[in-house]
Amino acid sequence: MELWGIIFLIIGLLFFTLSIALLLIYNGLVRLKNNIKKSWANIDVLLKQRSDELPNLIASVKGYMEHERATLEALTKARTDVLQATTLSKKAASDMLITESLKTIFAVAENYPNLKANENFLKLQNRITALENELADRREFYNDSVNIYNIRIHSLPDMIVARMMKCIDEQLFKASDEDKAVVRVKM
Amino acid sequence: MLLQNGLVVGLFMFLIGIALFAVGLYFYKKKQLIADTPTSKIRSIAMGLVEIFGQVIPIKERLFKSPFTDKECVYYQFTIEEYRSSGKNSHWVTIKKGEQRCLFYLKDDTGMVLIDPTGAKIEARRDFEYQSSLGKDPPEQVIRFLAANNLAHEGFLGLNKTMRYRETIIVPDENLYIMGTAGENPLKIEATENHVDSIMIQKGKYEKQYYISDKSEKQILKNLAILTYGMWGFGIALIIVGAILFFGLI
Repeated sequence: MELWGIIFLIIGLLFFTLSIALLLIYNGLVRLKNNIKKSWANIDVLLKQRSDELPNLIASVKGYMEHERATLEALTKARTDVLQATTLSKKAASDMLITESLKTIFAVAENYPNLKANENFLKLQNRITALENELADRREFYNDSVNIYNIRIHSLPDMIVARMMKCIDEQLFKASDEDKAVVRVKM
Repeated sequence: MLLQNGLVVGLFMFLIGIALFAVGLYFYKKKQLIADTPTSKIRSIAMGLVEIFGQVIPIKERLFKSPFTDKECVYYQFTIEEYRSSGKNSHWVTIKKGEQRCLFYLKDDTGMVLIDPTGAKIEARRDFEYQSSLGKDPPEQVIRFLAANNLAHEGFLGLNKTMRYRETIIVPDENLYIMGTAGENPLKIEATENHVDSIMIQKGKYEKQYYISDKSEKQILKNLAILTYGMWGFGIALIIVGAILFFGLI
């Protein structure tokens, strides 16, 4: 075999391998992006389900918890905020406020025997607690998906394809300090 | 003639190299899919492709016994092979193989979900392997199984044949890694009775991946990496040597 033939063969093989590698990396990044979208949609569904239950909860505890008016108002405000939030950080901050308010309401409910005996309240408490647990898992799942993606777009060789695709870091489902401060004021 | 043999060998090596490279690609895609999918907590499983890890909880009335070890299990796979010689050649011939799988639950620290292993690729460690030969009888349970299936471990003049018995099982409480599709549970009555919601892990209509293993995710990824890079290395080497032989001899 001539020298040029060997060189041609090596270049051809390199080109073939490189094309396949680029294709695999591209497909991998697309899959990761879709994983993030899907895991976000899965959080959003639960956020909406929880928001739907909150007015019922507030209605059932209102008569008993006159002294917790501020908590109930904060919860109502946070419910609206979580549905209207435009950034992930604001959504996370409102979500955090709801979780905190719910913890307070359920803890305070221990002091009201009549409320604790209310079947409707107990049903709502169980339903919302289950949703809160699922939300906690899905937040973790979403953050894992984002973490995998962010690591991939900064590691070689994926970084090269990620730059060509103009991929940027995805945000974790976490409230920024600024949004957390706003939440504290509300509480 | 020599020239023609070189061409054939070169082409053969080239094609085998391409095939190995393609198999390497399959393992790479599987490895990346597992690596890119975070593990879900069972209580918050969403519909679609999921990865879960947990402990096998059997449905008692569905359990069956494994053929060679007589253990209660949710899955077994066995092979019976016989060593045969003809002239200079000798090799193992599979004379019977089989498997059985049933529905079971997988439980983690958050909940449990029904698993339908139909259509799953199951990879589990071999739990039993025994070789019988002249003067070495198979265990009692194996003899019973052979008799029930009209197979004999003895040959000419009642002498033991050289035979190999292998069994892989998945037993209750064993830890499993599962990548499969979370879909609606068509067996809702069964699930409701067992206080499990309406989701069942099964083979997806569109997702090709349905994989069950008794190894940890880390171990699975390590094995797949070895397979991927092994196939690619060997495949590329064969492609180069095959192409040199083929083109060099033209």
